[in-house]
Amino acid sequence: MKVRTSQYRQIAAREMADAHTRRFLRLLPVRLAQRRQAAFADYVNPAAAIRSGAAIRAKSLENLPSLLETFEQNALASGAKVFWARDADQANRYIIDTAKENGVSVVAKGKSMISEEAGLNEALSEAGIETWETDLGEFITQLLERPPFHIVGPAINIPVERISDIFLEKGVIDSPESDPVRLGLSARRFLRNRFRRAGMGITGVNMAVAETGTLINVENEGNIRFCKSAPRIQVSVMSLEKVVKTTREALELLRLLCRSSTGQLMSAYVSMDCGPKKEGETDGPEQLHIVILDNGRSRIYKDPVTRNALQCIRCGACLNACPVYGQIGGYPYGWAYSGPMGQVVSPLLLGLSATRDLFKSCTLCGTCRDICPAGVDHPKLMLHYRSRDVAADPLLHGSGSSLFEKTMVAAYVKAASHPVLWEAAGRGLRSALNLRAKDGVIKGAPGVFKNWFQSRDLPEGPSRSFRSLWDDDPEGQGDDHAR
Amino acid sequence: MKAVSLFIPCIVDQWLPSIGMAAADLLRRIGCRPYFRRQQTCCGQVLYNSGHTNAARKLARRFIVIFEADELIVSPSASCVHMVKSHYPVLFADDPFWRRRAESLGARVFELSEFMVDHMGATDVGARFEGFVAFHESCSHLRGLGLSDQPKALLDGVSGLTRVSMEGPDICCGFGGRFSVDYPEISTAMAADKAERFAVSGADVLILGEPGCLLQIGGYVNRHYPGRRVVHLAAFLAENAEGFRRSPGRKEGVG
Repeated sequence: MKVRTSQYRQIAAREMADAHTRRFLRLLPVRLAQRRQAAFADYVNPAAAIRSGAAIRAKSLENLPSLLETFEQNALASGAKVFWARDADQANRYIIDTAKENGVSVVAKGKSMISEEAGLNEALSEAGIETWETDLGEFITQLLERPPFHIVGPAINIPVERISDIFLEKGVIDSPESDPVRLGLSARRFLRNRFRRAGMGITGVNMAVAETGTLINVENEGNIRFCKSAPRIQVSVMSLEKVVKTTREALELLRLLCRSSTGQLMSAYVSMDCGPKKEGETDGPEQLHIVILDNGRSRIYKDPVTRNALQCIRCGACLNACPVYGQIGGYPYGWAYSGPMGQVVSPLLLGLSATRDLFKSCTLCGTCRDICPAGVDHPKLMLHYRSRDVAADPLLHGSGSSLFEKTMVAAYVKAASHPVLWEAAGRGLRSALNLRAKDGVIKGAPGVFKNWFQSRDLPEGPSRSFRSLWDDDPEGQGDDHAR
Repeated sequence: MKAVSLFIPCIVDQWLPSIGMAAADLLRRIGCRPYFRRQQTCCGQVLYNSGHTNAARKLARRFIVIFEADELIVSPSASCVHMVKSHYPVLFADDPFWRRRAESLGARVFELSEFMVDHMGATDVGARFEGFVAFHESCSHLRGLGLSDQPKALLDGVSGLTRVSMEGPDICCGFGGRFSVDYPEISTAMAADKAERFAVSGADVLILGEPGCLLQIGGYVNRHYPGRRVVHLAAFLAENAEGFRRSPGRKEGVG
């Protein structure tokens, strides 16, 4: 998937001007947030459930190296093959080689963020392997060549007419269709034929259980289960932070995941699979390949601050809660991960210099952190990225700040360190801006203030500051307690 | 009489002094004796939020030295209190000497409504207001410090006042400091949503406890909904309290 994180501003401006996107953004996040809340009401103590989920994720990460080893042993024992990929290229090459060795020319895929991150679809196409996304939304975005708009509903913002057009163009339907249900049925028929020909199924992994070597997927369409059971060869791609120790912990996280992402108590399908088809079994793949992808995560893991970002379970609740996402939607985030989830994950995987808008375009309102069932502290991470960016951190590819910014900051610190200078600077600023005041209101000013006045007024600056008024106040005087 | 050290946000000191004077007035009304440490300037929040950690650390050390001897420190801004309480310890995570001082100080810093209601048990300051009022839950109050009941209790203590509900009172107004000028279109869209929710709430006045939100929502409302008022809680309570005298040095304008 092409990385467009540096076009955040342009894409955001385009999306905010799009009436359809705006209408849609007023509905979906709100509706999903309501559903989530209703589903959480099912818990005796929702806050405790969230704390427990966060604790499981934190503990799993703490023991990640040993959990991964245990998982590998148990997966191997169940007959699966395990491949450790350092980066996306290694993962893609392994999957392509496996396909070629087994004469696979058609691949059926289940929705998987990690494969978007790795650019697996593009790699497969380049290798001449026909690849079909089988999640309806992901299928539509694949045909439209668009990134996912929302992690739960990748194409949920696409109007029915647009879907009809692209289905016609790609031969999914023969005549225009305006009924969404019929469109869905057509896609189903079309994909069913692809499934028949698919020699390989590729899916992501929601959770991997160390003590049993089990791979867990949740979904609502049944296509992931199909991908995992029908084709001869099955490939499960997982980022290395997905592993938890016990089935009990996995189930607890599943309950949180389904409530958080779609407001369901449990998704329509939950697949738990151990290894390939055993002797005497009728269902399942002949080969199961588990690709464990690092792609920079070991480095992220080493730093106790950034490690927190790996606690994310990709539920998408933060998208629905984020007031910025609610204005711009998923495209401006420019990659597989959007919303606050993308804002904390993408900078670590792509580097700070390529993702500056992601960690800067945030008011630090904290709604995402409060709603997160996995204990991710998004504001803290974004503050960390800002700080590492200013410090030009070489590990995270920080770019440092401009000479202008450095000068301004130095001047600010200087003024703030001397109350007399501070007062003089404040008075100077008030006088300068007040030249533009009319009837007690300033409606415009140039330079650094210009953007403010695009839509907002400012009250005229007072003739005197608080400290100056305080000196004159009969009740205020002599109260300094100065040492 | 409890002596209370005023922690006046830089934006209040230099641009919205009536909020600071109102805070002092309210503290006196509930039996405290406010005093002001003249060495104070800025807590460093604006630097910290924009990644200038070293610069923020300098101002944080300065702040700690100035306020360290005070028993009770009160501010009419939750974001500034949040900075001292929650972010100073992060700033000094690798520096036990300053971290201990920051944590010890943080335990004595309170947001104004929190101090009035939780520590002084005061919800009635003798204010009277005939009208409908909506309340905006600032991010730093609600999610930063966990304050929501306290400011509402103070509003409910105003005789004649009817508090009306507004849709999404807890949704961010889009200020975010530098965010408001770095991403003006997104920030504006957020302010517009907030202003619209206020406009349809049926309230005459929107009350909030955060100077940043006041500039953002007040600035937007002043331009697009003339006649409607957005007021800081401290200023609102003081202005409508018995025997209030307006401080000099401020003309009437936005907010």
